[in-house]
Amino acid sequence: MSTVLEQCERIARDEGLAAGLAAALSGTEVTAAAPGSFAAVPTSKVPDGAEIRTHSLADREDIVFLACPGERPATDYTLAEIGRLLAAVRIGTVRRLLDEAVAYLSERTVGDEPLIRKQLITGTVGDVAAELEMARAYVSVPLAPDALADLHSKLDELGWQVTQLFGAAGYIADHPVRALYVSALVANTWIDRKGAA
Amino acid sequence: MIELDERLRAVRDDCRDAVEDMRARALSIDADPDDMEQHFNSPVYTMIRLSNTPPEYRESVAGGYRLMKAKSVLEDIVGMVELARGDMSTMFACPCPALAGVYVSLLGNPAQQEKFYTKLHGGRTWTFFAMSEPGHGSDATNMQTRLEKDGNGGYLMYGAKRYIGHGARGGIGLVFGRTGRSALSIRAAMVEVPAAGFTAQRLNTVGLRGAYLSELQFDGVPVAADMLLGEHLPVTRRGIWGAVKTLNNMRIQISASAVGTAMAITEYVAEHRKNAPGVDLALARAEAGKQLIFQAAAKLDADPERGYFASASKLSAVRMAQQTAQWAIASIGPAGLIEHPLLEKWTRDVRAFEFMDGTSNIQRLHVARGFQSGDADG
Repeated sequence: MSTVLEQCERIARDEGLAAGLAAALSGTEVTAAAPGSFAAVPTSKVPDGAEIRTHSLADREDIVFLACPGERPATDYTLAEIGRLLAAVRIGTVRRLLDEAVAYLSERTVGDEPLIRKQLITGTVGDVAAELEMARAYVSVPLAPDALADLHSKLDELGWQVTQLFGAAGYIADHPVRALYVSALVANTWIDRKGAA
Repeated sequence: MIELDERLRAVRDDCRDAVEDMRARALSIDADPDDMEQHFNSPVYTMIRLSNTPPEYRESVAGGYRLMKAKSVLEDIVGMVELARGDMSTMFACPCPALAGVYVSLLGNPAQQEKFYTKLHGGRTWTFFAMSEPGHGSDATNMQTRLEKDGNGGYLMYGAKRYIGHGARGGIGLVFGRTGRSALSIRAAMVEVPAAGFTAQRLNTVGLRGAYLSELQFDGVPVAADMLLGEHLPVTRRGIWGAVKTLNNMRIQISASAVGTAMAITEYVAEHRKNAPGVDLALARAEAGKQLIFQAAAKLDADPERGYFASASKLSAVRMAQQTAQWAIASIGPAGLIEHPLLEKWTRDVRAFEFMDGTSNIQRLHVARGFQSGDADG
């Protein structure tokens, strides 16, 4: 499993969210496994004629939401493992955008000083990097549903912290940072948090 | 604790009546912020526009609107929370004086005020308030946009602005630029669009699309001398002084937007997930946020130049609203954001407040500075 987790993280970091999602869902019967009425899938994996919902940001990440009709399955081992692989994908996505943020903050200056040297900014970069290490450790062992939900809520928060590092550019849909918004949307379709937040 | 008197309760109730109308428009504005024809005649929009227009510049409109022209920041904020409970993006999409109006009322002479407010008659003209620049945000001290003398008593404007609400569709607005090097040389120019040398494009944002954030370029835009605001005032009160007061006001408005959106999110979850844990807690936090911004508004009424409470309320209200959105995402259940597009939209909209009128890091610096100056006790 650890190799697969590493692969999912690496693919998301190098190739993007949709490629990571494809790796995490590899071999999964999506409509049978998903916990809700829709499940995020890479656009390229949608069967012909299947019912889907689209989303303006997810479209740009080549991700759509596949309808999963009928009674939904109880949380089981398969879903828990998908949740872990998806967490690895999200870790890779946060890392990809953190790298971008550091490059951006190193170039942008305020008062002749790169933003990356401002203490509040440096502190956030340090926090996110440390929390990423914790998240990677968290996902490395099988997780109970509550712990999995907790991990994904932490990843939502990490994504938001990285988003803020871009300033207002972090709110532009054409910016790569949108992957972090879509990552949270993807997790909403695959992780049952039962109100834990 | 701030208790609402009869007048404030009337303001609140008038705006509360607008909630359902605004929510009904919210998703279509998010999907296509350019398709506004169906919304122009909204009675809520007419009420907002007229309420934000000084009585002497109001057009006469049939319908017998009970107008609540704010006598105070507090009154404004009491209404704003309710409108944000409706839908903040719909509120931002309303063609009305908005932030530029606050500044025009503060620094504009009668002729400028008449020009500005008359242009908005009919409810189809948006305004813009252009301060933030690419690479500098709203750090006014580093402003690059310049007003060069044209040799005939007027100016030519050169530069660029970014993240400006309605910049690419506004008919009239204010653009800040420098006539020289010092901080006192920063001035606001009233610009009517179209204008020579003025180009603008809408930015595609994650949410809050009704705000129509845009980027603007100025390549020799002519500005007549009498279009600079504040000429009738002492030199120290012409530019940045008004901007600081306006920004303090705006920070509380953004706080109100965050609190109202948090309330909307919580009410939505409570309605659609009957037994969701944490509803009471989320409501209690939003109520605390409401009290905080009411107190900050009352403080600003007492001293418009002191920004400590405005910054403190923005910092904490925006964070509270983000946390409420995270709670909602967890509470609505798997695929809940796909099944409930209005809630999903609000979880995107609420992120915008972080970036408007100073990020949380900027507010932290203001709050810490004010605290060290003793503002927390005064």
